[in-house]
Amino acid sequence: MYYLGIDVGSVSTDIVLVDENMHIKEAVYTRTKGRPIKAIQEGLKSFKSKYTKNEIYAAGTTGSGRQIAAMVLGADATKNEITAHAVAALQNDKDVRTIMEIGGQDSKIIILRDGIVTDFAMNTVCAAGTGSFLDRQAERLEIPIEDFGDYALKSTTSLRIAGRCAVFAESDMIHKQQLGYDSSDIINGLCEALVRNYLNNVGKGKDIKSKIFFQGGVAANIGMKAAFERALQCEVCVPEHYNMMGAIGAAILAKEAVMKSGKTNFKGFDLIQNEFISRSFECADCPNNCEVAKLEENGFVIGCFGDRCGKWGGKLVVNA
Amino acid sequence: MKITFPHLGNAYLGVKALFDGLGIDYVIPPFSNKTALEIGSLHSPEDMCLPFKINLGNYIQSIEKGADTVIITGSCGPCRFGEYCELQMNILRSLGYEVDFIVIDAPKEIGINTLLQRIGKVGSSSTKNRYGKLKAVRDGLKVIHMIDAFEAKVRDLSGYEINKGECKNLLNSCKKDLLKCSAPSEMIELIKRNEQKLLQIAIDKHSTPLKIAIIGEIYTIIEPFSNLYIEDKLMDFGVSTSRKLTPSWWIKDMVLKPLGLNSMDIKRASKDYLSINIGGHCRECVAEAVLAEEAGYDGAIQIFPLGCMPEIVAKAILPTISKEKDIPIMSLVVDEMTGEAGFVTRLEAFIDLLERRRQNVLSRN
Repeated sequence: MYYLGIDVGSVSTDIVLVDENMHIKEAVYTRTKGRPIKAIQEGLKSFKSKYTKNEIYAAGTTGSGRQIAAMVLGADATKNEITAHAVAALQNDKDVRTIMEIGGQDSKIIILRDGIVTDFAMNTVCAAGTGSFLDRQAERLEIPIEDFGDYALKSTTSLRIAGRCAVFAESDMIHKQQLGYDSSDIINGLCEALVRNYLNNVGKGKDIKSKIFFQGGVAANIGMKAAFERALQCEVCVPEHYNMMGAIGAAILAKEAVMKSGKTNFKGFDLIQNEFISRSFECADCPNNCEVAKLEENGFVIGCFGDRCGKWGGKLVVNA
Repeated sequence: MKITFPHLGNAYLGVKALFDGLGIDYVIPPFSNKTALEIGSLHSPEDMCLPFKINLGNYIQSIEKGADTVIITGSCGPCRFGEYCELQMNILRSLGYEVDFIVIDAPKEIGINTLLQRIGKVGSSSTKNRYGKLKAVRDGLKVIHMIDAFEAKVRDLSGYEINKGECKNLLNSCKKDLLKCSAPSEMIELIKRNEQKLLQIAIDKHSTPLKIAIIGEIYTIIEPFSNLYIEDKLMDFGVSTSRKLTPSWWIKDMVLKPLGLNSMDIKRASKDYLSINIGGHCRECVAEAVLAEEAGYDGAIQIFPLGCMPEIVAKAILPTISKEKDIPIMSLVVDEMTGEAGFVTRLEAFIDLLERRRQNVLSRN
């Protein structure tokens, strides 16, 4: 009996399969590359030969692509990332009181007290405090993002880099590069800029108390962990499956949902061969001009999103 | 003279009743949409706030439909809104649109004579006699009050409805039908009929839906396109919402201001946190958070456009209120993005938070 959890994020699509005791059996990490359905199909390829449909007791989705993933998969639970991350962290440690999560496009802070989410915040309009910012700078420095943390730890001098906006930071960084500063000092400066930005923007006014969990893709960067510990002056824990927490949360939530409903909607692993086509068009029936996305599976419409009046999205109810 | 005006929630219905009554030709701009935003941001200063851009899009879309006079409300006020009319006039003229502007501002700012003269300019193209004009004004006010009140009732009841979507459909069909009316009296009758229909909707009196107050910057909370239709989304989630700021609230506030009798509740509620008016609707926002807690709401959502000075001040005050009054408040910033995924995530997470709070000891119930 297994539970499937999928987190379709902006940068990565994470898939986990957990057993009844919430131990991870499988964990697949793929890049979304802007094509969520393809990423899910790719990610599930290795599952088909190993597991049958009946072994999957429940399936859940989360992440910014959770709706589309839910339709493709036949999900039992479709939840936002905040709840999924909180549920997964609490499964890991009941005493966690702060979760800092930095992903590709989003950064969030979740405040918990006695195992209940009491407050949360997400980055507003700008993505400067997120992983894509580091990704971009790694590309510019021609250093693999995986090695970023090690470089940062080698730094001996603290170098200040503007953190308010990714564009400002980039020009600030280039100026310092041109002056010949050491790469590891620059990378450390970038980590500190990101931490400063995170604490000033997302973490503003929030009561950050330990135990603190640091999760999401950026938690792989030990330089970031160290920068957080310096700024907060306390220990920051990176859980073992830091980059799979959303997916684990989705699996737990799916388990709860099926325990209530009694049966799963999961369609089975055959979906990896099916042809999914999504089309978008502008509905011209009223001045709202909604952008509607229509999803077809083997030629059948399985769902629509994006319309305001329910004329297209309403069909979803019939087919689900 | 063919008059147009920017959209602000239900304001177009009141304006329609007024001009239908006066017998003046007018153009209602197409509902704020992506095209309006695109046109607006193309011609606006990049750093400008979102309402400015949508306004400008509204004007240009109306001008293309034949409007030659724009009515806007001014506010020589202490936030960027105070510059809107001058800047918008400038931009439209430099784009080569030959349009007249009539700026309606508070008598305190421009003098009662100027105000009357400006209003007279509108009235002069009406063929109605003095009584007819007064009646038109009265009907216009009545329509805006009735529709705002009706909408508030619908949004509150939607959390209790048994058949999901009934309230939303009623509200949408009511607004659609109102646009087809040709006389103010028809509009008033239609709203009355819809009020009756609302009473027929099956509700579960024992259900306890989440209640959320929508607070923040006046334009972005009233104009649904600018906040990605947050109230409709919350309706779909089965949440009851309330919003104090409406076009009719604004009119009442304007009228009572010279007497110092406006917004007494707001002045009282904001007293402990922000005792002076710092511009925009900052004080209202702070007060509404306090009032929401007093009225037993589960939470409040603050919405404001990127870079809005008064609301940034409010945002800094809200965490204190949230902590002292024990009411969750979430701030959402809106700008030119129309991608809804991130927005919905925040809403869902906030609703989750409120629900779990209720189930727990932390709950006030």
